[in-house]
Amino acid sequence: MRLRALALMAMLTAACATTALAAPDPDKVLHSSFNAPETGYDPAKTSDIYSHGVMENIFEPLLTYDYVARPAKLIPLVAKSMPEVSADGLTYTIHLQKGIYFADDPVFKGKKRELTAADQVYALKRIADPATGSPSNYLVLGHFVGVDELAEKAKNSKFDYDAPCEGIKALDRYTLQLKLKQLYPALPYVLAMPHTSPVAREVMEAYGQNSLAHPVGTGPYILKEWKPGVKTTLVYNPNFRHVVFDFHPTPGDKAGEQVAREMNGKTMPQIGKIEVSIFTEEQPMWLAFKSGQLDELYSIPQPLLRGVLNMDPKNPRRAALKAEYRKAGLKISRVLDPEMTYWDFNMQDPVLGGFSKEKIALRRAIAMSFDTDQTIRDIRRNNAVRMEYTIPEGVVGHNPNFRYQYEYNRPLANALLDQFGYKIGPDGYRTTPDGKPISIDFLGDASAVGRQWNEYWQEALDSIHIRVTFRPVTFNDLLKAMRSCTYGMVGAAWIADYPDGENFVMLNYSKNIGAENTACYNSPRYDKLYLESQKLQDSPERNHLYDEMNKVMMEETPWLPGETRFRNRMMQPRVLGDEVHPIFQVSWRFMDIQK
Amino acid sequence: MFAYIVRRVLQMIPTLFGVMLLVFVLFNVFGGDPSLVLAGKHLTAESLANIRAQLGLDKSQFAQFMIFVKQVLTLDFGTSWSTQQPVSDIIGSRIGPSLLLTGSMLVVDLLIAIPLAATVAYFRRGLTDRIVTICCTIAMSVSALVYIIAGQYWLAYKWGLFPVSGWGNSAFHNLWYYVPLPMLMGLMVSLGPDIRFYRSFFVEELSNDYVRTARAKGLSERVVMLKHVLRNALIPVVTTVMMSLPYLLIGALVLETFFSIPGMGNAVVLAVNNSDFPIIKAITVYIALATMVFNLLADLIYKLIDPRVQLK
Repeated sequence: MRLRALALMAMLTAACATTALAAPDPDKVLHSSFNAPETGYDPAKTSDIYSHGVMENIFEPLLTYDYVARPAKLIPLVAKSMPEVSADGLTYTIHLQKGIYFADDPVFKGKKRELTAADQVYALKRIADPATGSPSNYLVLGHFVGVDELAEKAKNSKFDYDAPCEGIKALDRYTLQLKLKQLYPALPYVLAMPHTSPVAREVMEAYGQNSLAHPVGTGPYILKEWKPGVKTTLVYNPNFRHVVFDFHPTPGDKAGEQVAREMNGKTMPQIGKIEVSIFTEEQPMWLAFKSGQLDELYSIPQPLLRGVLNMDPKNPRRAALKAEYRKAGLKISRVLDPEMTYWDFNMQDPVLGGFSKEKIALRRAIAMSFDTDQTIRDIRRNNAVRMEYTIPEGVVGHNPNFRYQYEYNRPLANALLDQFGYKIGPDGYRTTPDGKPISIDFLGDASAVGRQWNEYWQEALDSIHIRVTFRPVTFNDLLKAMRSCTYGMVGAAWIADYPDGENFVMLNYSKNIGAENTACYNSPRYDKLYLESQKLQDSPERNHLYDEMNKVMMEETPWLPGETRFRNRMMQPRVLGDEVHPIFQVSWRFMDIQK
Repeated sequence: MFAYIVRRVLQMIPTLFGVMLLVFVLFNVFGGDPSLVLAGKHLTAESLANIRAQLGLDKSQFAQFMIFVKQVLTLDFGTSWSTQQPVSDIIGSRIGPSLLLTGSMLVVDLLIAIPLAATVAYFRRGLTDRIVTICCTIAMSVSALVYIIAGQYWLAYKWGLFPVSGWGNSAFHNLWYYVPLPMLMGLMVSLGPDIRFYRSFFVEELSNDYVRTARAKGLSERVVMLKHVLRNALIPVVTTVMMSLPYLLIGALVLETFFSIPGMGNAVVLAVNNSDFPIIKAITVYIALATMVFNLLADLIYKLIDPRVQLK
């Protein structure tokens, strides 16, 4: 019992410990950058990574990640300890810390407002409320007992937040109970997403539709100013309970050790004000950083990578800052994003889709004609690694030993097509085994990079005598075609919502056609394995199922796997404690800056 | 004059209706479905239907057009589809930075272009005229992007004369600290064509009989230029300036994007990228209205400058 208590204490203090209040120096201002505009700062209403990054500093979910632990490790944040899970895995009980207060807001009429379990209940129900229009509703709907019924009723009337809900309820002021319809292995990760952070009901009701501009959380910062798409300014939240950094990185993790050296013993946060500027153009961002106007770059723009980094052409993992930048004391933190890119074959397309051997041979030949390594070198500037498994590195369930067997081999691709009766006609292009002409409807965007990809694909498909028509469309139309299965081939990408394999393997589940399953892949074999995996927590058994699902995909070829890209954050010498975390978008609350 | 103004105001109604119809057809009929972008990456048929209902896109085209008409009549365009902030708040907060940049650029442009145009017109076919004309032609031939990229690199980064980009909260601070570089870049693009354009007005006026008569009367060259030529040459200048005024409101898209200026241009780019139709519609209608109003004002100013002008 005593040992358990000690272990619990150690876990709680792994990242931080409570201490006396001490406000950060308001003159410590961090100037940071984003590469694209944010949407706004309502946890339930936004899903883009930039809004997510800002909200990480304003809101606090029940759980979070240890800043220096690699791979990413969950720890309690608003919760007093990790959730207590019933033996059947269907009931989660979570005790909240006492004495956590929301940032001051006129809605609270001058009173300090403590965070309670009811706020978490409200936040989760709000995600399910159709009136919220939450892009994160998939995290709640279909999982918790009684919530879907409330959401269904709300289609014809207002969502009844006061109606009892067995699946999401507060047992007392500081205890939350979640009851699931079936196992939900990703739930702890979901409870660490900013989207599920507790929010004050009175604040949301007061600001109504304008909640994106009025975030009120319990985190270390509050929103001072927001000019959409241009600038966001955060300042220290005086109501934030102060904690002392006490990081314990994995031995041998040099970056983590550096963070611990620079930050341990200091109170959180150290920076009084954060100004985030949005740069949609690369040159001004880079020059602003080089001239010292910016303290950190969210990510080095792709076209500049070769000028900034020395990269091993044979191994994209080996990269270091060029000597001129090292000499200037500039720093870099580099991590593989929990994401993957892939090329969808539309499995419902009359030319490419289907499960007959001829159709599989056609898709596989196309996959074998494309040199992914070359595009990693030329288009990605060596800033990516090949994707060899449908769950990327750093995500639970990834198998580093699995290799997709789509060897880049054009003679073999041609031989495969010959073998299955795809004859070359007098015009130099192949026809189907029953003599019909083939033309692939290749969907893409009209940007310079989009055209660059088209050139590589044109060359690849010409090499196997397959005719292709590129169809550049707007982003809306691209999404529409992908969701309605009205295209031949298209490039796609997926970044983890949470670092669990389930968030990736669901991309090919047939019930997700029209949503995330953009290959429109309807494989009974894959579905059966997927549904079995849904019943399991992270375990060797679940990993085995994931391997089997990858094998099915490899055989049926609904995708050509692409790559996983690196995120390269750059900092000025004066910035301390800044390290790219695989899940957090920004590190501001863990950092310091020398004046 | 009152009857003239009333008539012109009445003429604005069908013009505005035409603009509204055009904008509506462009975005509601030919534009993409914004709910696809707004739904996020986990979009389902149900979530799309929910968003379409919230945005009113599930209503008939006629009903949507009537809502648009009501918005124009009340000048209340609702809230932004992406940031959910009132459109009036967005425009209100963005118009200041745009006007500060484009307004100061217009003033400096006029202060340089008109005297220079008058001078080179006076010395037409001389060395000064040729040098200025060649410089203007070269300046006009270079893309605005080249000026911006070179200016940011050399003037801001290498020589540290200006900040690379940015914007503060004080108008005065912005004017002397953040505006000069984008203004300079904007002037590099606008001065060339403006000087050449205004020069042609002065040249035309200088060849008129009344100039010869004035000189024959023994008036000094200063009086001839300032009292007679300038006044007459100002009519086309006023037309050009008045027609450019509505565009001050929309800001300078490229300059605002490269220099991180929170103006209307930036808002337009963001709205287009997000398929944020309420903002796009509001700005289009405001620009149309401003164009018609400034057009009318230009006509009224003609009368003030030259009493011979008849308003019919």
